[in-house]
Amino acid sequence: MSNPLRLSRRTVLKGLGTAVALPWLEAMMPARASAAAAANKPLRMAFIYIPNGVIMEGWTPEQAGSSFKLPSTLRPLEPLQSELLVLSGLAHTKARSNGDGGGDHARSVACFLTGVQAHKTAGADIRNGVSVDQVAAAQIGSRTRLPSLEIGCEQGRQAGSCDSGYSCAYSSNISWRSESTPMPKEIDPRMVFERLFAGGDQAGQSRHLRQEYQQSILDFVTDDAQRLRDKLGQTDRRKLDEYLTAVRELETRVGQAAEETAQVKRDVPDLDVPDGVPKEYGEHMRLMTDLLVLAFQTDTTRIATFMYGNAGSNRTYPFVGVPEPHHYLSHHGNDAKKVAKLRKINEYHARQFAYLLERLKSTPEGDGSLLDNSMIVYGSAIADGNRHSHHDLPIILAGRGGGTLDTGRHLKYASETPLTNLYLAMLERVGVRAEALGDSTGPLVDLA
Amino acid sequence: MLHGWSHRSLAGAAWQLAALVAVWCALGVQTARADDAAHFQAYHKQIQPLLARYCIDCHGGGKPEADLSLEGFTDDLKVAAATDVWLSVRDYLEAGYMPPEDATQPTPEEREQMTAWVRAELARAASQAPPSPGRVTLRRLNRAEYNNTVRDLVGIDFQPADDFPADDVGYGFDNIGDVLSMSPVLMERYMAAAQQIVERAIVVPVTARSETVSYRGVYLKRDDGQEQPSRKDSYHWLSSEGAISMMHAFPHSGTYRIRAGAYGDQAGDEPVRMALLIDGRQVHEFEVTADSSKKPGKYEVDVPVEAGKRKISLAFTNDYYDPDHKDPGQRDRNLAVGELVVIGPSSVAPPELPESHRRIFIAQPGSKMSDEAAARAILERFAQRAWRRPVEKDELQRLLALYDAVEEQDEPFERCIQVAVQAVLVSPHFLFRVERDAPGSQGERPHLINEYELASRLSYFLWSSMPDDALLEQAKAGALRKNLDSQVRRMLYDPKAKALIENFAGQWLETRNLALVELDPKLFPHYDEELRAAMIRESELFFEAIVREDRSLLELLAADFTFVNERLARHYGMEGVRGSTFQCVKTDGTRGGVVTQAAVLTLTSNSTRTSPVKRGKWILDNILGTPPPPPPPDVPELAEGDEQLRGTLRQQLEQHRTNAVCNSCHSRMDPLGFGLENFDASGAWRTRDGRHAIDASGTLPSGESFNGPRELQQVLLDNRAGFVRCFSEKMLTYALGRGLAFYDQPAVDELVAEVESGGYRFSELVLAIAGSRPFQMRAPQQESP
Repeated sequence: MSNPLRLSRRTVLKGLGTAVALPWLEAMMPARASAAAAANKPLRMAFIYIPNGVIMEGWTPEQAGSSFKLPSTLRPLEPLQSELLVLSGLAHTKARSNGDGGGDHARSVACFLTGVQAHKTAGADIRNGVSVDQVAAAQIGSRTRLPSLEIGCEQGRQAGSCDSGYSCAYSSNISWRSESTPMPKEIDPRMVFERLFAGGDQAGQSRHLRQEYQQSILDFVTDDAQRLRDKLGQTDRRKLDEYLTAVRELETRVGQAAEETAQVKRDVPDLDVPDGVPKEYGEHMRLMTDLLVLAFQTDTTRIATFMYGNAGSNRTYPFVGVPEPHHYLSHHGNDAKKVAKLRKINEYHARQFAYLLERLKSTPEGDGSLLDNSMIVYGSAIADGNRHSHHDLPIILAGRGGGTLDTGRHLKYASETPLTNLYLAMLERVGVRAEALGDSTGPLVDLA
Repeated sequence: MLHGWSHRSLAGAAWQLAALVAVWCALGVQTARADDAAHFQAYHKQIQPLLARYCIDCHGGGKPEADLSLEGFTDDLKVAAATDVWLSVRDYLEAGYMPPEDATQPTPEEREQMTAWVRAELARAASQAPPSPGRVTLRRLNRAEYNNTVRDLVGIDFQPADDFPADDVGYGFDNIGDVLSMSPVLMERYMAAAQQIVERAIVVPVTARSETVSYRGVYLKRDDGQEQPSRKDSYHWLSSEGAISMMHAFPHSGTYRIRAGAYGDQAGDEPVRMALLIDGRQVHEFEVTADSSKKPGKYEVDVPVEAGKRKISLAFTNDYYDPDHKDPGQRDRNLAVGELVVIGPSSVAPPELPESHRRIFIAQPGSKMSDEAAARAILERFAQRAWRRPVEKDELQRLLALYDAVEEQDEPFERCIQVAVQAVLVSPHFLFRVERDAPGSQGERPHLINEYELASRLSYFLWSSMPDDALLEQAKAGALRKNLDSQVRRMLYDPKAKALIENFAGQWLETRNLALVELDPKLFPHYDEELRAAMIRESELFFEAIVREDRSLLELLAADFTFVNERLARHYGMEGVRGSTFQCVKTDGTRGGVVTQAAVLTLTSNSTRTSPVKRGKWILDNILGTPPPPPPPDVPELAEGDEQLRGTLRQQLEQHRTNAVCNSCHSRMDPLGFGLENFDASGAWRTRDGRHAIDASGTLPSGESFNGPRELQQVLLDNRAGFVRCFSEKMLTYALGRGLAFYDQPAVDELVAEVESGGYRFSELVLAIAGSRPFQMRAPQQESP
């Protein structure tokens, strides 16, 4: 390490067993946090996906405007109502069949952040759009150590098919780096932690191989890939391009790590990081949420996506009295018992979301809180899971966007307003130039 | 229903067509044959009018929907040139997506008429050209392949890929080139894993500098926790027997000098004794003869110590106390420790070189060999194995340049090799399975892949790992194709073939998904981690028996044996099996074949009950190879538990089938599932479901009836042709790492024929795949416009 005073987290971790309370030594905090604090109010964006739609009766407030009452499902968010914009009327037309037949779950999750109709294939020629988070990461991601963070709580299927002729790549990812490259999400909290805080040479169990050698190795393999690329056909070249992009990002990181020398003083809470995925879903969710908050708080990244579950998730929720699988229930056929159980799941997710917002709100930054400088989208690309409808989507935007959002309102938009218009409005706010995103028609209005 | 509603979508139609057209053009085949006249006449007379009535409103004119026009095929040549169009038409017609719901629908007969003609057209088109062998997209190693390759390459099995993000699945498998993408986070992991690998595999000799660390005696802690009695001087006093200790981190293994500054209150007939212990083991004992804090003694000894944190203790071992002694100065013997000093290492122990290190360092620089020559030999050999082919001159040159760059930093030889080896392991040549078009051919025609590429295809198919030396030598000698059969048989007997069971069978049977299946703990309290593991193990061992004993594939459908341990035997209601070890047991055949195994039965159940629909669909998908199309949205699934209103599950499903739309598929799925109703959601045997006796009878659309699992097995056996085709397609998909296309059908036909004539033995299929056109060859690359 270039600065001997900066402690390796591993020296702290060493020998503490599998679950360790990490003492947050100030010396461990990366230098960028201070830079961030100085540059006023960096804006954060996160996109949270919930699977299988929701029971809309429990979601959409009756009144529009600033005096409205949150319905039952969203009740956990009541204390935070002034921080929210409930957005009704938004739609994802590209999540519909449009002649592609079944597979709404995979298609809609692929569309969730891209607004593009995914090419229907079980493998060959995977094509989707670039997702909003990656559009942002490409332009402003280099300002933080990690351009973006992708996390989730459910592993993808390991065999079989995922949804009606769509590859599992569509149903287990919402973040897309390019048309054909999804950004795989990390579901193991330990690995997320490593990524966030393992320091500049994230490669290292030990520090024996020096930074500049890493750089030389990356130069070598870039050369390798470029030479190889010229000898390959088109589809193979696409794979090499993915490779080259990945190497370039890593190079930037290695370079940045070398620059990080100064120390930062900041209070960060303790965090228990288990070795592996917790058995309890609730604990898993809480940990991933904590990590997301830490990532924003330390300004390790400003852009994140979080999948509470995969498209068509069949997770069971016995801890809230729902032993049946979620997707199975979502085709409720208006059966009152099933609807009641779905509401329980919806409310459970809302509670997790409330926890995230509370954590962000209770983290001071400048004169306000971290939540003030965030924009968190929460929702699904399916409204009614029974009918697989893709209009009137359940969407909440939380946080004040650095003062650019007038929160505490329920806004009703004209039916079929593209959800991607919201994303355009968000990109504007973080200073990313984008003429359009997927099927967008212009930035969403009335947010401020 | 959501999962698994696959249909045989040939979605990359344009791409496949491109391959076909290329073959045509290469061969100059541009006209249809005369004996196809009737076929084309049928188009103009019967099919075209149907298209005009139902399709052309949208798929015609200047701006056809989905850019797909069905107009303008005015002569035979134009019809024959539109294979891409017919591929789409077939997919959408067969799946029932088109015409859309709100449009006028053809009658079932008309739909069948169109579908049949389109199928005939595609078969005709395929028969016009020699079948394309297809082209596999550059395949990245998946997690299992990466782990196995590292194990076989460096000889350390530590599963670095377990930390990689999961690989996505396409066509049912996680080794599909098109789906295996490369993301920045994965690149990070590759870099980190490569570093871990070189640090574990290669030992760099330490050039350790000697350091001196001293601890003041008062900072040493008494092992028994007693406080030291206070004395005025700065010594740690031991007035009774006991030890004082300090944890010290020894940076390297080697010899250290350990010194204690001490003196004693002397009394009795011997001097004070002080033992030195490391990690509780005595390594020396000193006689402490010094007797004054003004003139303490230095007691030191050289000891070999292993690197790491160790406890150094000094113990007072011969306490003496005689309060009656007439000389007060001779009454009490005590030890006083002023400091503990660790100096070293003076010499570093030569490290034990692991097997992995010796395997890489095939040459050593010395008097007979320059550093450069040794590095060249080492890197050439390593890169050749890692990249699974001979290394080109300029590649080796660039590796050596990397080596040189590190050497210029005055790093030891081994470190320089470490860096170059890490680069080899992050190179695209290692991470991807590169197949190049044969030089000279310009890739214009289908060509045989070279023997190194063939060696890799074989080893990743059967072992999920790199080729071993024997395969590479065969390839080098150009003898692999010639000895293909004997090599394949050798590989199947190798223990590494267990990868085929874990990776192919685990995905074909979908037992990998069992980890995601939760049953309602109230209804199925016995379904725990142990039972789940036992279920998976049963299916693995069963499949392994088929592979290892080269049994008939038909035994996958019906067999009179399976594998159980005590836990699973209890679950199955079998007597006399003890312990956690699995053993092969004879069954009466009710429990025989994969569809009656608990893993499959459980993963096709809902969490609270069985699902005859899912079980039937699983059989159609994975055994018979006739997957049903996905259900239309807005069809409610069955409600739970209100039997009074809606009757038994069977009655509910029957109600469901009164709907003609539902019936077309459910009449195929449900009866198959009913045959398995004697197995509950966790695969245990039952004769009642709540208040109802189990009715395990089913009638297929063909009118064929059966009752219970044994008769169901017979139904499957009667459909053996369908099964063999399905199984062959699955395994070919896995072997190639790509989805199958229409041009693969002739190859599949040949596989089926060879398996049948070979008595259905497992090895026949593997041999047939290894020798098949798509496995041996590669189609030219098409540049799309």
